[in-house]
Amino acid sequence: MSDDSKQPISLMEGFWSQAVEEGGPRLLGSRCTSCGEVYFPPKPKGWCVHCQQYTLETVPLGARGRLAAATVVRQAPAGGFYHGPVPYAYGMVDLPEGVRLISQIASDNLDDIKVGGPVELVIRPLYTDQEGREVTTFMFQSKA
Amino acid sequence: MKNPQEMRDVYIVGIGLTKWGFYEDQACYDFGSEAIFTALKDAEMSWREVNAAFCGSVYQGTGSGHQAVKEVGLTGVPVVNVENACSSGGSALRLAYLMVASEVYDVVVALGMEKMPRGPIPSTAFRPWELASGFNIQVGNYALETVEYMEKTGVTEEDLARVTVKNRKNGALNPNARFQKPVTMEEVLGSRMVAEPLRLLHCCPLADGSAAAVLCSRDKLRSKARGVKVAASVLVSGVYGDGMLPSGMVDSLLHKPEVGMAELSAQQAYEISGYGPEDINIVQGYDTTVPSELWGMEKLGFCRPGEAAGLLRDGKFGLEGALPVNTDGGLMSRGHPLGATGLGQICELVTQLRGEAGKRQVKKARVGLSHAMGAGPNSSVTILTC
Repeated sequence: MSDDSKQPISLMEGFWSQAVEEGGPRLLGSRCTSCGEVYFPPKPKGWCVHCQQYTLETVPLGARGRLAAATVVRQAPAGGFYHGPVPYAYGMVDLPEGVRLISQIASDNLDDIKVGGPVELVIRPLYTDQEGREVTTFMFQSKA
Repeated sequence: MKNPQEMRDVYIVGIGLTKWGFYEDQACYDFGSEAIFTALKDAEMSWREVNAAFCGSVYQGTGSGHQAVKEVGLTGVPVVNVENACSSGGSALRLAYLMVASEVYDVVVALGMEKMPRGPIPSTAFRPWELASGFNIQVGNYALETVEYMEKTGVTEEDLARVTVKNRKNGALNPNARFQKPVTMEEVLGSRMVAEPLRLLHCCPLADGSAAAVLCSRDKLRSKARGVKVAASVLVSGVYGDGMLPSGMVDSLLHKPEVGMAELSAQQAYEISGYGPEDINIVQGYDTTVPSELWGMEKLGFCRPGEAAGLLRDGKFGLEGALPVNTDGGLMSRGHPLGATGLGQICELVTQLRGEAGKRQVKKARVGLSHAMGAGPNSSVTILTC
């Protein structure tokens, strides 16, 4: 019997779907049926804060985008909220659906992250929690 | 909505500033109340004349303003605590201003104070998943905005370092600054990397500190010569689609607004005051990290996007330049006690407009502008004139 307590858990629920038949995980977002604005993460209330109506529907977002900016953080954030490795890279990723998001950047070499280039979605462990479970999150990595 | 231009004139008649640094052996209410005492003395007023107090702070817990006022006197005055992140002091000033302008009160104290947690700012202006993802590191957030800014404008690391050098040079003339020693370009560019491309000396140091101002109506002025008029005090708390990473907000790619938050706050301040950027002759800008002073000058309308670094290089923003910026050394020299910062800027403007800034006095300073922004998001702009 497998030990469920050791199954990986997600850092956030409802941010991506494991649509394996479609070729891997996809981020989920909200799109306004009226003004077309796209949001990540999805907005469960369905309220479009841009055009001020209940007009949002949940949509899958692409798994590829462009890295608009990136930085490598050399010092742990304060407050005790972050349990991942330091240094770590994060950046702004623009998806072709028309939404920018903040994401950690997965890279074997943090000094070699290319801003402006194409990136693709991956689901990766960020840290191991006190019960020994891997906690996973979405990240983007440079396309080979 | 009432137009502030149609309300009565409001003056800052007293300022009080404690030296900013680390107060290991004092509580926030100790140096907070000290700023009130100093401001009252400067105003030649007694606490009994004060009708209300607005107290800006971020990390001081419940009723922190009351703790400071308790040391001055519970005379029945209403005390309201204002937490608006880095704009807390500016927001407290604005509330004090509006209360006097609208004739609710005649004399109001605005206080800003902070005893900072040590280490990087533990900002919680984020969603839980953002906190857990490491996105609340404000230097990292400014770094991402800087990467984009440098790409768009061609601003270089040397340009960024030049802001630090200018501000620390000014700070060397400010006896209240936490750092009073100038730094060289080499020292800035050789300081340790915190989050590419921002190095330690591109980031303001933290500090404990407090600042207070006494505001009053014209008929309560003791000294007409020392009263500085509040020409505008505005606050804009975010514009959808205008990114502000220190608040976890990214640009909208499909609906980026024509006028962003900082631009809107400046436009409102110019409209209310009747002054334009060309009338301003001293600025206290927002250099929480040095690039934000550069893009701040652009967003406030002092030059076009991408031009600030060139103007800085040409000396325009130096103490002897046509438009001195951060004459007291800015956040880079003063340090950044979050709740006090906005009022620290006000204290410097008042000191300059009164002609009492000593070695760092700007010649012919008549109209001054201060700008504080940050998490929330907020952008507060104050214009003062003598």
